[in-house]
Amino acid sequence: MKLVKLTGIGASEGVAVGPAFVPATGWPEPERYRIKEDEIEAELQRFRDAAEAVTGKLSETADELRRSGHEEEAGIFEFHAEMAEDPELASAVEERIRSLESPEAAVLAVGEEYAAQFAEMDDEYLASRADDVRDVTGQISAELIGLGASGFGALKTPSVVLAHSLAPSETARIPKGMALGFVTAEGSRTSHVSIMARSMGIPAVVGVGEVLEDALDARKVAIDGGEGTAITDPDDDTVAGFERMSAELAEERAALDEYRYIEAKTSEGRRIEVAANLGSASEAVDALEWGAEGVGLFRTEFLFMERDDLPSEDEQYRAYSAVASAFGEKPVIIRTLDVGGDKDLPGVDQGHEENPFLGWRGIRMSLDTPDLFKRQLRAILRAAAHGNLKVMFPMVADVGELRAAKAMLQESRRELEGEGTRIGEVETGVMIETPAAAVCAAELAKESAFFSIGTNDLVQYTLAADRGNERLRRLQNADHPAVLILIRQTCEAASAAGIPVGVCGEAAGEPEMIPKLVALGVTELSMGAPSIPRAKKVVSGL
Amino acid sequence: MAERETTVGPEEGIHGRPAAQFVKAAKGFSSQIVIVKGDREVNAKSVLKITGLARKGEKVTIRAEGKDAEEAVETLAELVSADEP
Repeated sequence: MKLVKLTGIGASEGVAVGPAFVPATGWPEPERYRIKEDEIEAELQRFRDAAEAVTGKLSETADELRRSGHEEEAGIFEFHAEMAEDPELASAVEERIRSLESPEAAVLAVGEEYAAQFAEMDDEYLASRADDVRDVTGQISAELIGLGASGFGALKTPSVVLAHSLAPSETARIPKGMALGFVTAEGSRTSHVSIMARSMGIPAVVGVGEVLEDALDARKVAIDGGEGTAITDPDDDTVAGFERMSAELAEERAALDEYRYIEAKTSEGRRIEVAANLGSASEAVDALEWGAEGVGLFRTEFLFMERDDLPSEDEQYRAYSAVASAFGEKPVIIRTLDVGGDKDLPGVDQGHEENPFLGWRGIRMSLDTPDLFKRQLRAILRAAAHGNLKVMFPMVADVGELRAAKAMLQESRRELEGEGTRIGEVETGVMIETPAAAVCAAELAKESAFFSIGTNDLVQYTLAADRGNERLRRLQNADHPAVLILIRQTCEAASAAGIPVGVCGEAAGEPEMIPKLVALGVTELSMGAPSIPRAKKVVSGL
Repeated sequence: MAERETTVGPEEGIHGRPAAQFVKAAKGFSSQIVIVKGDREVNAKSVLKITGLARKGEKVTIRAEGKDAEEAVETLAELVSADEP
């Protein structure tokens, strides 16, 4: 036993201490490969029962996910359920059983045949279906062997789960209340495991890297999902510290509960809308539970990350409609793609950039890649038929860019109308994050329906201080006179044009910044959902 | 027997969720149904068989034999050609 500190991405807030649990990986090996002639009928029946049981569990999981608003994940399980009850799979397995193969070995062999076929296809997306088939036939085989359908069968006391990565079929099988937190070697904030942790309300630290391998024999783990750290086999002082934090956090959350669903107003009666920043559609239900009155910033980058191809219009449409329908009449601001030279985009030659944050990114890239941009705009227009969507352009530096982007939106609208496709109305706004946009706010306001100030980038660009540079902490601060002047100017321009102005950077959720932002004229605050009740409390006290 | 030729609509071709939805619909008919593409002919009620059969823009034929063949062919051809099922 040794104390090891693991550092990764804080993917879900919260603190927990508990025994470590490492799920068994892979599927159990069959112990028996051959059967006897007189066992055929009974073994055929056992196979059918096992396939039916697995199909039932998969469909149940799909229904559960759909009910809780996780449409994308539900689709995966539906596909898996169809595979588990596939008639061609069944007849191939039954044929093997009739030639005296054990059902648990037969189902794995047939799964492997299909997996090999898919893996051979020269289509990345299809090739990844190979793992889906193996996942499903592995579950049927495990059901036959009787080990339950996952490595979580042995999880009997509430524990912190340590794993290389966790597949949807695995997290879905964790017995209720048994996971206190997740620590994984792989993953990002938008990984499946992160989304699940946030919706389960338990802490998660992901992407800690290969060092996790050395910690797998740990007996106990303390995890801090806010900081993104986990300590294995912590000493008594560390445990006491974590337990104290955990209690404080629970107390703080309970005290803020009454503010969750209120409409925040200042003592003078100024109404301030408090909304959530979302990274993916799966976070919508949680955000509403935290009391979000809308989405002030829906980042679309997650659709483009961790993959080797570009998302289709339909895939984007599904993601945007999922969040639109979850929020109903409440407004959802979709920010068009904002990536630059610091992240690769397949099929787009970004070239090497010395200064990616000052480079070809946001609206600059979108205007230069009209096919990519229009695919996104078309998806947004179609999704707008299912809710109250608005579109926001990032990195705008002058009114010419705004006009060009609006012209492309108009063109996409006309195309869709020509095709007879159902679309909705969308308002267009500008993300104020370059100092240029703040300085030209009066001009931009005349052609925008709303503004949203992205304080993180506005601070970095105004103070010429890299967001990621630890030594510049002092300058990574929205509470700087230069930044406050730009915010005030933006608010004045918005007010003169009669349009709302939000803040969607970190500052919007900071209790000490909220009074200043409201005083400067901000009308909406958008933040990570768990900060919403606290922000509403701060506004109510002004 | 009824049959109809159609063009694949979904951006990703036939697999994943569109495939699951197609198979679900096919199972709602009592007829024997196959999808034909070139010289390949597969069971339309098998998600494993139809996965990866065709890409967007490719032509496939739905063929059915049985009491509700007409209706099956019509419903499924429409489903295959829709942009999103």
